[in-house]
Amino acid sequence: MIFSKCYPFNCQKSRFWAIILMLLAISWIPTGSASDWQEVVKKGENSTVYFHAWGGDPQINKYIEWLADQVKQKHNIDLHHIKLTDTSEAVSRVLAEKSAGNHHNGKVDLIWINGANFAAMAQHGLLTPNWAEQLPNFALTNPIKNPAVTLDFGVPTHGMESPWGQAALTFYYDSQATQSPPYTLQDLLSWSAKNSGRFTYPKPPDFIGVSFLKYALISLTPKDKQHLLYQAATKETAAIILPKLWHYLDALHPNLWRKGRFFVSNSTALRRLMGDTELSLALTFSAAEVPAAVERYDLPTSIRSYDMHDGSLSNIHFVAIPYNATQSNSAQIVANFMLSVPAQAKKQQPSVWGDQTVLDLSTLSTEQAALFNQTTAHSSSLTVSSKSPSLAEPHPSWVALINQQWLMRYGAKSNMQKVN
Amino acid sequence: MIKSRDFFTQAVLLSPKLLMALLILPVLGGLVGVLLPAFGYIPALNKMSFSLEGFTALFNTPGFCQMVLLSISSALASTLLAFVITTLILACYFNSPWLYRIQRLLGPILVIPHAAAAIAISFLITPSGMISRLFSPWLTAWKTPPDWLLPHDSWGISMILGLTLKELPFLLLMALGALSQADLGAKLRAQHKIAMSLGYCPMTAFFKVVLPNLYPFLRLPLLAVLAYASANVEIPLILGPNAPPTLAVAIMHWFNDVDLTLRIKASAGAIIQLVLTVILLVSWWLLEKLTKRVSQTSIINGKRDYAGHLVMRFTHATTFILISCVVLSLAGLVLWSFAGYWRFPASLPDQFVTMHWHNALMQMHTSLINTLLIGFAATFIAIIFALFTLEAEQQRAQSLSRFASLVIYLPMLIPSIAFLFGLVWLQEQVNSQHALFNVIFSHLLFVVPYVFLSLASSYRRLDPRFANLAASLGATPASVFWRVKLPMLMSPICIAFALGLAISFSQYLPTLLNGGGRIDTITTEAVTLASGASRRVSSVYALMQMLLPALAFALAWFIPKLLNKYQHKA
Amino acid sequence: MNSLLAIKQLTIWRQQTQLLSIDESIQGGEILSIMGPSGSGKSTLLNWLTGMLPHQFRAQGSLFLNQQDITQIPSHQRHIGLLYQDPLLFPHLSVAGNIAFAMPNGVKKHRTDKISHALEQVGLGGLEQRNPANLSGGQQARVALLRVLLSEPKAILLDEPFSKLDSQLRQETRQLVFNQIREHQLPAIMVTHDQSDTDAANGKVINLSSQENTYA
Repeated sequence: MIFSKCYPFNCQKSRFWAIILMLLAISWIPTGSASDWQEVVKKGENSTVYFHAWGGDPQINKYIEWLADQVKQKHNIDLHHIKLTDTSEAVSRVLAEKSAGNHHNGKVDLIWINGANFAAMAQHGLLTPNWAEQLPNFALTNPIKNPAVTLDFGVPTHGMESPWGQAALTFYYDSQATQSPPYTLQDLLSWSAKNSGRFTYPKPPDFIGVSFLKYALISLTPKDKQHLLYQAATKETAAIILPKLWHYLDALHPNLWRKGRFFVSNSTALRRLMGDTELSLALTFSAAEVPAAVERYDLPTSIRSYDMHDGSLSNIHFVAIPYNATQSNSAQIVANFMLSVPAQAKKQQPSVWGDQTVLDLSTLSTEQAALFNQTTAHSSSLTVSSKSPSLAEPHPSWVALINQQWLMRYGAKSNMQKVN
Repeated sequence: MIKSRDFFTQAVLLSPKLLMALLILPVLGGLVGVLLPAFGYIPALNKMSFSLEGFTALFNTPGFCQMVLLSISSALASTLLAFVITTLILACYFNSPWLYRIQRLLGPILVIPHAAAAIAISFLITPSGMISRLFSPWLTAWKTPPDWLLPHDSWGISMILGLTLKELPFLLLMALGALSQADLGAKLRAQHKIAMSLGYCPMTAFFKVVLPNLYPFLRLPLLAVLAYASANVEIPLILGPNAPPTLAVAIMHWFNDVDLTLRIKASAGAIIQLVLTVILLVSWWLLEKLTKRVSQTSIINGKRDYAGHLVMRFTHATTFILISCVVLSLAGLVLWSFAGYWRFPASLPDQFVTMHWHNALMQMHTSLINTLLIGFAATFIAIIFALFTLEAEQQRAQSLSRFASLVIYLPMLIPSIAFLFGLVWLQEQVNSQHALFNVIFSHLLFVVPYVFLSLASSYRRLDPRFANLAASLGATPASVFWRVKLPMLMSPICIAFALGLAISFSQYLPTLLNGGGRIDTITTEAVTLASGASRRVSSVYALMQMLLPALAFALAWFIPKLLNKYQHKA
Repeated sequence: MNSLLAIKQLTIWRQQTQLLSIDESIQGGEILSIMGPSGSGKSTLLNWLTGMLPHQFRAQGSLFLNQQDITQIPSHQRHIGLLYQDPLLFPHLSVAGNIAFAMPNGVKKHRTDKISHALEQVGLGGLEQRNPANLSGGQQARVALLRVLLSEPKAILLDEPFSKLDSQLRQETRQLVFNQIREHQLPAIMVTHDQSDTDAANGKVINLSSQENTYA
């Protein structure tokens, strides 16, 4: 319950306190670090930063290229995007460097991360702590009012990572293939029976795949037992909670794409199958990628986005600096620029990336806030009035457990460890 | 012959040795660099004692047997299929002008990188691909794409199709090349005529008379195709199954895994891959011997017709299907790259847009510059080495030793997955941190054999009297080389340059491994995007991959003509 | 049965130019000689006779073999044997293999006996398993002849068959070939530019350059 209390959507009661704290925060955050920051900028300019980030989406890659152009102009920093197929690659690279005794010249300067990967890196002491709050632009996120920017899947960030954007699990469907999409998890079961082979989710440990399983897990767990999901999983609690999930999936899988015998390995494959009209329903963590893909003709115009009525899983994604980064200062400059108003506003444009900003618009001037206004709603984008309750991320220990058991139950024939 | 002692001559005479060292050291060093870790010796991980744990881990990998079987079956099946179809086409059109038309239609596939070809084929056979669109809904009644598992089927059928389509033009071209040798071609055609006059139907005449004498010229290309098919990663990555993948792809994943301990398993895998490829080559050779022995009596049994008419019809159909596949997959790529909305089962997009090209071109400048930089650097060095080595041959008045000629082809015969990782390890040992340099160096290994092969015949055919004449007019060896020989060889040098560029452009594994994943080229991007969200962007990259070598060849054809014109005007 | 090869009102054009025009019939055992300089259409005529006329030529007229019209029949079904100036023995087959290749399908023992017998008759007894490349020019020519004859052709075409042999060997081989043709009563057409060949053939001669028929 601790975590759910902390989440922004549950903290209306604490607004009063937030305002007071905010006043305090504004008064000390920038002043305390101004001269230090000058030092960081002085040391960090004119160098090269290797940014390890998932590279499977051309739209995001293009935005990162824009970032590179900007930091080149402003700080003469060469930002190289190392395109990962899985963030865990960078995690194990840093781990390998640490075990090889490379404590100062790491190849990873900045890494796009959240969730289990962050938890693993934090646990092994692979990240530089206490820098994120020092970024001048961090104040714009209004951390006192939005404590979520300092929590990653419930784990405190301790300044090891700086927020970059946020997302909620969104569904989208092809309105030409199906008029009435499922609005709850139970609907999904009956919808799949009627539209056999038209839905699937990526194979865990893919992020979207795991997120779907977490959404199902939360929805299937009775209200009185939900607090168990926000504590470390134990054998006993797993025995209480997980059977419902497996029971549900046992019923769902025969009606999935390829009869559930083959799962795609990532969400980009999911989007392509939607574009091919092989699927009629899919899900994503970045709602704006849907209208953007429609704009780029990668999805048909009949695509519509919506939130599940029984809740949407939401989370924030971050950038972190490994403890042994060669260019730690330059990476901080980049991270600070990522939090700047122009960078965040551009990122939120549906035609660019459409990733929701982590800035608190109330801290901005009217002109600055206006940059975030969406011009006209796209017919394929999520309706603003959508009133889906936000579901907080369960404790990371559940993720490991779900992954492991899913692979044992359904992955044996279609999954090879360490391969793909 | 009295040799002059100037700097140029010294450099030329030294270059064959340098070339040998350039090829032998990395390849053999690479093999050692795989052998040591395979037996558990990795100082970097504090493992200094030899053990078999890598092999134990490898054999205990779930699905290991499937991986090996998949590698073997896909390599054998695709090579056999490509060979059979090549011979059928040759037999069926041996006396027909269609043979050269088919060659012209299939020939351009040669310069298409494997990755691009694989992408084109995957777009063809996918459930919403061109084939199913063309036949839907009027024939199949499909309003939505069918639920078939192509590509990535676990039997490797898509992969076999891809390999076959890509290797067939190569074999056909090799066969036609042999037939275009003046004496051999004329003799075989006359013998074919004799057999027909003895009452043999054209098909049987080809198989009983021409093929036994043509086969020796196809043996090496076939073995090269087989070796490549057993160990390549691009085609299985794009068309093959992923649960489990082929052994080569699995090895690549293990090597690329930043969990360094997996390198032991991967090295053991590379050794097994090498053994596997050798076993395949030996089996092919045995199969050849067996076929020869078995067919010995049937060749002279006097039977003149084995349903030749049916076989001919079958060949017509196969050839038609093949050419349609090539045309359709290329058309598919072009359509996708310009496609607006394109809902299944429409066979044409609703609208055509240039946006995908525009966006991709805006994004690809870094990878494009890398591609060109690496290609030009590697090819330039390779050309210099090849020319100097050939010049040394003429100055010494003796051709390369058998050993040396074998060494030049080494990188073509040894599966690259087996030695490249060792090479990466070597580069780490000498602390070569410069990714771009490492990539250029590794490309050089693959560019040199082709460039040398392509230059050798024209250089050796050059009439020595021109050089003698120039020398008698007082020209130094250097000026004979630069001012007489090179201008006369302008055309072959341009072609060799284009070939070198094409080979460099198509390299995936050396770029990925030796660059440590830090160097993006059009090819690495195309392979990454092949599994991405956008068919349209992926098509643009695949087409770019095809356009670059095509452009290089067009320039190679055009530049000598232009120079020629210019010189004669002046 | 008396065999007969008849060329009826044949005209061959290259593009629009008329190349040659012939109307002849050849009885079994008779040898028609065709003479003429290169380019006069000798090999084009042979190509038409074997059904392998290249597509840049056009022909009108018909070919009858033993009263059967074979003009449109593919070459391998015509039963017309060919003997070139090169013996063109198949290098991947032995001497016996080359001959067996030509013989009709049948009982193996019967076939090998027949080969040995034929080889002995032309003085090549015991050379069955030899590689044809190791034979002398004359021996190769005789194997090539046996190969044609044992394929049981109904007619035979000789394309400058002796031009590569030296004069002594030439005379012997020519005699052997002509004797066999007469013995088997095969109609034969010989293309040559050597007067001594036509003299020995002792038959009708067509000179393509002048298109005048002369009798020896």
